[in-house]
Amino acid sequence: MMQSIFMTGLGGQGIITLANLISGQASEKGLKVSLFNAKGMAQRGGRVTSEIRMSDDPGLEFGARISAGKADILIGMEIGETINSLSFLKDGGAAILLDYAFVPTTMVLKKEPYPSFRQLTELYVRKTDRIFAVTEAKHPYNMFLLGVFSTVAPEIAPELSFFSRERMEQAITEKLKRGLEENLETFNRGCAHGHSLLQRV
Amino acid sequence: MKRSIIGNQAVAYGALAAGIDVAAGYPGTPSSEALNELLHFSRSAARGNDPSPYVEWSVNEKVAFELATGAAWAGKRALATMKMSGANVAADSILSVAYSGTKGGLVLYIADDPGAEAGMPEQDTRLFAQWAGLPVLEPADPARAYQLTRYAFELSERCELPVILRSVTSVAHAKQEVEGEYAYKPLKRKAAFQKNILRYTKAGAVICMDQHRDLLERLKVAESSAAEAGINRLHEADDGAGLFVVAAGALIPYVREALSAGDHRRLSTLFLESVYPLDTELAGGMFGAADRILVLEELEPFVEMQLRSEASRLGWNGTILGKLDGLFPRVGKYSQEIIGRGLTLLAEGRKGGAGARASATGVGRTGGQPAVDPTAAQAAAADTQPAASTQPATPLNVKHPITFCAGCPHRGSFMAINRALKKIGLDRDNTVVTGDIGCTILGMNPPFHTCWTEVSMGSSIGLAQGFYRAGIENPLIATIGDSTFFHAGIPPLVNAIQHGTNLLVIILDNGWTSMTGFQVNPGTAERFQARGDRRVEIEGIVRGMGVENLQVIGPFDQEQSVEAIVNALQQEGVKVIISQAECALTAARREERTQIYRIDSEKCTFCRSCLRETGCPALYVTANGGKSKHGQVMAIDPELCTGCGLCFTCCKFDAISRQKLGGSST
Repeated sequence: MMQSIFMTGLGGQGIITLANLISGQASEKGLKVSLFNAKGMAQRGGRVTSEIRMSDDPGLEFGARISAGKADILIGMEIGETINSLSFLKDGGAAILLDYAFVPTTMVLKKEPYPSFRQLTELYVRKTDRIFAVTEAKHPYNMFLLGVFSTVAPEIAPELSFFSRERMEQAITEKLKRGLEENLETFNRGCAHGHSLLQRV
Repeated sequence: MKRSIIGNQAVAYGALAAGIDVAAGYPGTPSSEALNELLHFSRSAARGNDPSPYVEWSVNEKVAFELATGAAWAGKRALATMKMSGANVAADSILSVAYSGTKGGLVLYIADDPGAEAGMPEQDTRLFAQWAGLPVLEPADPARAYQLTRYAFELSERCELPVILRSVTSVAHAKQEVEGEYAYKPLKRKAAFQKNILRYTKAGAVICMDQHRDLLERLKVAESSAAEAGINRLHEADDGAGLFVVAAGALIPYVREALSAGDHRRLSTLFLESVYPLDTELAGGMFGAADRILVLEELEPFVEMQLRSEASRLGWNGTILGKLDGLFPRVGKYSQEIIGRGLTLLAEGRKGGAGARASATGVGRTGGQPAVDPTAAQAAAADTQPAASTQPATPLNVKHPITFCAGCPHRGSFMAINRALKKIGLDRDNTVVTGDIGCTILGMNPPFHTCWTEVSMGSSIGLAQGFYRAGIENPLIATIGDSTFFHAGIPPLVNAIQHGTNLLVIILDNGWTSMTGFQVNPGTAERFQARGDRRVEIEGIVRGMGVENLQVIGPFDQEQSVEAIVNALQQEGVKVIISQAECALTAARREERTQIYRIDSEKCTFCRSCLRETGCPALYVTANGGKSKHGQVMAIDPELCTGCGLCFTCCKFDAISRQKLGGSST
């Protein structure tokens, strides 16, 4: 089994924390895991991406980076950046898409139109029918999406059935000391949202 | 012991296991975490009174390399770290030290960036190493980075040369499990430097040419040592189809992945992690069995050129598929797709031609048929984009320009420059403001559009003098951050003073080397300096250079800042303004905010002056009606706002007010 998860968003959204928690679960499960964070401009509002690759074959060698069309799962935290990342998702892959837009100052001032969530999903629909549209998220978004991911991952691929609410709650408790209560509450709301998305699919 | 660490950390632990005594570097993505990790290690070791190497962030890469060299010449093991551009800064010393060689292990860790994800040239350090005449190791992944770092010190001592450990972003920043000792194993060598004019000076032609000869001899030792250690691996496929894949460094895991996934059993492999000097024996063995060779390496055709030259020397006349015939890109990272197409080209192209099965002696001749199927060749060359392509794929693609963080003092400095220019009637499109490396360069982005140039560390001050000498009449402003000033801004300022230039230099001093992750620099406040280190004040330096026209301003006080700039621009000679306030991020990590600002939606007219002038990420548009005719008003995100008050200075409608945290608004 080999799974590649591509995550994208903007600096400040907590994407690295989200990636650390997801890859941490896979490591704990005993999988061979590679995590690559491209975060150079994170704190200045720039694009952030995380690439997780995992395999249950300890002898399998693989590179850290995900090439175009090779991501089994794509998690998009910001509409514009998620559109920019479309090429990474493989045909028929699973996409967890957050309805959140951060419009750059220049576009606000020039009153340029910014892509909408509907436009985003229309693009992704051409590539896959496995779309989880997260439209009712609560802050902090990374915890909400972690809840969604932990819930839907086992349905996306049976190899990912080791993701569960309980394990992830434990990991959050261990790893995130600051704002623990709010994080856990949002995570659980995300789990609930994940369940409702599964029923819709 | 196994730990999940990134490649840069693996270099740090490899160096600790090799028993280094000294490590020095200058921060630069994607290399910084190597020295960061060593610094963390040495700090916690110091707390427990455990032994640790001496570690420092030096003022620039040249100094870092010289410091490491001194330690190595005294017999210790030493590491210098930098990004590829840093090697240019250190070049003068690197090329000279190469002639002298080393006693103790001296390793130069340089991280390259195929795909330019950190936004600098795609400079290939391997070519630089060849120019200097230094061996290059190129690890495939973090686990190999650990092993090869350890080995690099052995190799350096064996051949008595500095060794370049070259990494790329995909290895430097990949987090994977690495088996290692995670402990410092000091060698406890006694420092001893023996006077040897013949080796350590360049006093005369004879000495220099003798050293050049010594260098070439040492390179031969490096080649045989790396061969003996089995760093490179040649694997011949069982059915011996004469097809070889050569892959270098970071591409090795991707090639292994492709080989294990596809049906490529007939392909033989040569995996290179010691890429210079070329292992001629191993290469010869390959030529003896090969008809067609595919060379996979990112950026320049470095391995390919060496192989082609060796093939020519041996009289081998098979086909090499690489970059020099235009089959593969020299720009950007290699995607799995490019690698896959290359493998297909190698395996299938053979059907089209007879190939050049070399004889057992390694020499063979082909007929005149084309080496590769031209259609397939075009297909491989077509994908010249970086693998992590963010190229516009749809008309909907957007770009998020990076900007100053909420509360960043540089925002105030650039607002003040723009306001000052306006005040004295200078057209911004006709007033050159040079920019420099680091966070300060964001002054070129919207909404400021202030900076015109970004070339290299310290270049803002030198370039501005060029514009002055060219006869540009409008006042010239050079902007530079504090760390960049220490790194390479002092010499050009000396030059400007000596030669009587008309120039305003604004040093944006936020007290940290922030862009690369908040490393300490000579100007960082005393209490954050390493134990025993002392702060060097920019103001004292500038005064000591003889600059009389010096002002120190606080960029959040716009009135004072604008006045200072206006004042300076109207005077002759070299003027320096130090714009001083701590980086908002380091401050926020330590201290609670005391105030924030808010926008009264009843008063906001949605003129957007605040956004237009500050571009602050804490400002956003909201659909709250209020008095605005637009049905929209501006608002401030109370989580992001640091209370700097710059937006307050933009509002003509009294809509922005201060709110004491835990108190009432004023």
